[in-house]
Amino acid sequence: MNYSALFQQLLPEVILVVTALAVLGTSLAIEARGKPAPLSVVSSMTCLGLLLAGVSLILVPAGGDAATPMLALDPLARLFKGIVIALGLLAVLLPPAKDEIRQPGEFHALLLFAITGLSLTVGTNHLLFLFVALELASLSLYLLAGFPRTARASEASLKYFLFGGVSAAFLLFGLSLIYGFSHAATLPEVAAALAADPTSPLALAGLAMILAGLGFKLAAAPFHYWAPDVYQGAPATSVALVAAASKAVGLVVLVRFLLIGFHAAGGSANWGEIASGWSVWLSILAAVSIVLGNVLALAQTSVRRLLAYSAVANSGYLLVGLCANGAAAAGAALFYVVVYGLATLGALAVTASVERDRGDDSVGSFAGLVHRSPLQALALLVFMASLAGIPPLAGFVGKFALFSKALAETATGGGSGLAWLVTLAAVMSAVSLYYYLKVLKQAFVNDAPEDSASVHICPGHGLAIGLPALALVVLGLFPSLLLEPVTSALVVLLG
Amino acid sequence: MTPAWTILSAFAGALLVLLLPARSAALSRVIALAAAIVGALAAAVGCVAKLAHPDATPWSFDRDWIPSLGARMHLAADGLSLALLLLTGVVAIAGILFSWNIDKRQRAFFSLFLTIIGGVYGVFLSRDAFLLFVCYEVVILPKYLLIAIWGSTRKEYGAMKLTMYSIGASALILVGLAAAYAAAGGTSFDLQHLAAADYSPGFQAWAFPVLFLGFAVLAGVWPFHTWAPTGHVAAPTAASMLLAGVVMKLGAFGALCVAMPIFPEGFAQWRGAIAGLAVMGVLYGAFTALSQKDLKFVIGYSSVSHMGFVLLGLAAATHWGLRGAALQMISHGIIAGLLFGIAGRVVYARTHTRDLAELRGFDLWRSLPGAAVAFTLATAASMGLPGFSGFVAEISVAIGLWESFPLLLIPLILGIVITGAFSLRALQKAFFPVRGETDAKPPKLPPLTWPEITAIVLLLAVSLAIGIYPKPWIVLIDDGLASPLFQSILP
Repeated sequence: MNYSALFQQLLPEVILVVTALAVLGTSLAIEARGKPAPLSVVSSMTCLGLLLAGVSLILVPAGGDAATPMLALDPLARLFKGIVIALGLLAVLLPPAKDEIRQPGEFHALLLFAITGLSLTVGTNHLLFLFVALELASLSLYLLAGFPRTARASEASLKYFLFGGVSAAFLLFGLSLIYGFSHAATLPEVAAALAADPTSPLALAGLAMILAGLGFKLAAAPFHYWAPDVYQGAPATSVALVAAASKAVGLVVLVRFLLIGFHAAGGSANWGEIASGWSVWLSILAAVSIVLGNVLALAQTSVRRLLAYSAVANSGYLLVGLCANGAAAAGAALFYVVVYGLATLGALAVTASVERDRGDDSVGSFAGLVHRSPLQALALLVFMASLAGIPPLAGFVGKFALFSKALAETATGGGSGLAWLVTLAAVMSAVSLYYYLKVLKQAFVNDAPEDSASVHICPGHGLAIGLPALALVVLGLFPSLLLEPVTSALVVLLG
Repeated sequence: MTPAWTILSAFAGALLVLLLPARSAALSRVIALAAAIVGALAAAVGCVAKLAHPDATPWSFDRDWIPSLGARMHLAADGLSLALLLLTGVVAIAGILFSWNIDKRQRAFFSLFLTIIGGVYGVFLSRDAFLLFVCYEVVILPKYLLIAIWGSTRKEYGAMKLTMYSIGASALILVGLAAAYAAAGGTSFDLQHLAAADYSPGFQAWAFPVLFLGFAVLAGVWPFHTWAPTGHVAAPTAASMLLAGVVMKLGAFGALCVAMPIFPEGFAQWRGAIAGLAVMGVLYGAFTALSQKDLKFVIGYSSVSHMGFVLLGLAAATHWGLRGAALQMISHGIIAGLLFGIAGRVVYARTHTRDLAELRGFDLWRSLPGAAVAFTLATAASMGLPGFSGFVAEISVAIGLWESFPLLLIPLILGIVITGAFSLRALQKAFFPVRGETDAKPPKLPPLTWPEITAIVLLLAVSLAIGIYPKPWIVLIDDGLASPLFQSILP
C-alpha cells in the first residue's frame, strides 16, 4: 500500500480528526485550570479546521488510483466531501444557546467526528468501510442530539439512538446478505454478480434491508418517527447537521447502492408497466413520505416539528428522483438535497434566533419578525419560499429539475411513466406552501408583541443565516453552478 | 430602448425601493412611478416601432442558462407580447398613481408591486417554457403579501385562498410542462421545440387538460374562479387592479401561447368542453354580480364574466376568436383596472364603505361628481358599448364564436344583457341613488386628487383609443398570431 497517496487522499479527514483532538486537548488544558473552555475558542478552532479541510480538498489533485479499494476517488465523492464540509461549517457557525452546552470542547470534537464520518461515507463503494464510516457519523450524532441535560434533549437522543441502532442492524444484515450473495465487498463487483443473476432473492432481501436502514437516515416514512422529537429537542447545531449534511450523505449512499450496485434490479414503477424491482418499493416509500409528511406538517404549531415533517415530505421528493433509475434524475435529486439542506439549515438558524428571543419555537413567536429584525425576516422568506419551490430560489429549480427529469427518464415510448408519482408530488408540494406561508404570515403580516425588542444575534449566527440565503438566491438564478458538476459527476460514475 | 427594459426597470426599481433607507421612504413612490413609466415607454416604443416597420426582425435575446435541463434565457417580442406589455405598463402606472397616498410600509408595498410587474413582463416576453414558468411563479408570494398586509375585508382568508389556488394551478402546469418536456425528448424547453414535437393523441388527451386547466384557473375559469372575487375584494386597490387587470391575463396568455400550441390535438378534443365552461363563466359571473351588495364584489364577479369571453375566444380557435380573446385581455385589463381603482381607492378611501346600500347616503353624484362621471364611462366600457374597447373585443369574440359554435351565441347574448343589467344596477345604486326629501344631507367629501385624475384619464383614454381606432392593436395582435406556434390551432 502506498501510504503517502493514502495520506494525500484522506487529507481532509486527517485534518478534521487532528482538529478534533486539538479541540479536546485545548479544552482539557483550559479546564485543568478550573474553568470551562470558552465557546468562542473551541468553535473558532473547529471552523478553522473545517476551512483547512475544505482548502486541502481543493488543493489535492483529483483523479489517480485509489490507495486502497476502500476509497472511491470519483468526482461525486470529491464534490460531496466539499458539500459535507461546507454544510458542516454552516452548522458549526450556528452557535448553541447560552448555557445549553456545558462542555463545548467535547461538543465540538464530536461535531468534527460526525463530519469526518459523513465525509468518509460519501467517498466509498466498499460495503464494510461504508458501514464503519456511517456508524462513526451516527454515534457522534446520537450524542450531539442529547448534549443539553434536559428531558427533551435526552428523549430526542434516546429515540434517535434506538431507531438508529435498529436501522444500523438492518443495514448490517442487508450488507451481509449482499456479501453472501456476491462474495464481493464493493458495489461494482456486486453489480457484476447481479448482472449474472438479476432476480436473486438473497440480493433483493439484502437491498430491502439496506433501504430500511438508509430510509432512517433520510427520514423517509415509515422510518421517520425519530425526526420530530430530534428536531424539536436537540440543540439547533446538531439538528442543522442532521437535517442538512447527514441527509445529503444518506442520499449519496442510496444513489451509489441503487445506481451502481443494483441498477439491474430496478424494475419499473411506471404506470401500467409495473415490473418487480426496487423502483416499485421506492415509489411507495416516496408516495407515503410525501403524503404523510405534508399532511402532518399542516397540523404543527412548533416550527421545529414543522421542519421535521417537511423533512419527511422532502425525502419523498428525493426518492422520486431515484425511482427513475437514471443519471439525470438522480443528479437532480442530489442537487435538490443540497438546496434543501441549505434552506432547512437556514430556517433552523432563524428559528433558533427567534426561540432564544421569545422562549419557544411556536409559530406565534415569529409574529412581527419583520419589525424586530428585517434581515432575518427576509432570510426566512428566502428559506421558506425555497422549500415551497417558489422561484427565483434554488428550491424551485431543484423541484422542477427533479420532477421533469424523473418524467423524462421514464415516460419514453408513449407511456406516462412516473407521471402518477410526479403529479402527487407536485400537488402535495403545492399544499406545502400552506404551512410555510403560516410561518411567513406571522413574520410579515402580524404585528410584533408589545414587549418585544429587536433581535440581536452574534456574527457566527448571522453567517449561518446569511450564507445559505445568499447561496439559495445565487443557485436559483444560476443553477448550473451546482447542477452541472453534480450531473457530470454522476455521468462519470455511471458511465 | 429594447423591450428588455420593461423587465429590467421593474426589477431594478423593486430592488432600489427595498434598499432605500427608512428616512427616505417617501421617495419609494417616485422611484416606483419612474420604473413603471420606463417600462411603459419601452413597451410603447416597441409597439410604435412594430407598427412603423412591420417586417423588421423582431427583438430577441437568447442565452444559455441551465444546459443540463435544456432551459434557455430566451426572450422575444412579437406584436402580441408588445401589446400586452403596453397594457401592463399602463395598468402599472395607474396602480402606482392610485396608491400615491399609501402610508403603511411604503417601501415594501412598492417593492412587491414592482416585483409582480416584472414577473408579468417576463411571462409576456418568454419564449422558453421554463423561463416563462419561473416568471409566472415569481408573482405568487408578492400577491400573497400585498393582500395579507395591505388588504381589507377578510384579507388573510382572501390572500390564502388566492395563493393556494394559484400554487395548486401551478402544480398542474408543472406536471403538464414536465410531461411535454419528457415526451419531446427531454432536451429543451423552447416553446417552438415543444410545439413542433410529435405527441401521441392518447398522451395529448390527458396532458392538454392538465396544462390548460393550470393556466385557466388563473384566468378565472368556472368553476375554479372563486379565488378571484374573494382575493380581488380583499386586495388593496393597486393590487386588485394588477390582479384583475394583468395577472389574470397571465393565465389566458399561458393557455393561448403554451397549452394550445404544444398540444393542438388535445385542444381539438377538449375545446367543446372549454367553450362550455367559458359560457358558464360568462353567465355565472354576470348573474352573481347582479346580486352583490359590495361594489368591489360586483366588479370581481364581472371580471369572471369578462374573462369567460377570453376563454370563449380561445375555444373558438378561429382567427377572429383568438384576436377577440387577445383584444378582450387588453380591454378588460384596462377596464378592470379603472373600475377597481375608482371603487377601491377613490370611493372607499373617502366613504370607508363599499356597501351599495350605505353608499346611498353619500349621494356620490353630488358629493364626488368626478368619480361618478368616470365610473359611468367605465361602466359603459365594461358593458361593451360601441366607442369603448370592450365593444371591439366582444364583437370579435362573437364573430369567432359564430364561426365555430354558433349555438353558443344565444347564452352569450344573454350574458351581455345581464352584464348591462348588473353594471347599471351597481352604477345607479352607488352613484345615482334615488333620494327622498327626508334623507340626511350627504357629508362633504374631499375632491379627487391629481394622481387619481391622471390615472383615471390615462385608463379611460386607452380604452377609448382602442374603441375608436382599434386598427393598430389588431395589427399588433395579428402579428403575434402569425407566429408558427398558432398554425396548428387555426383552421
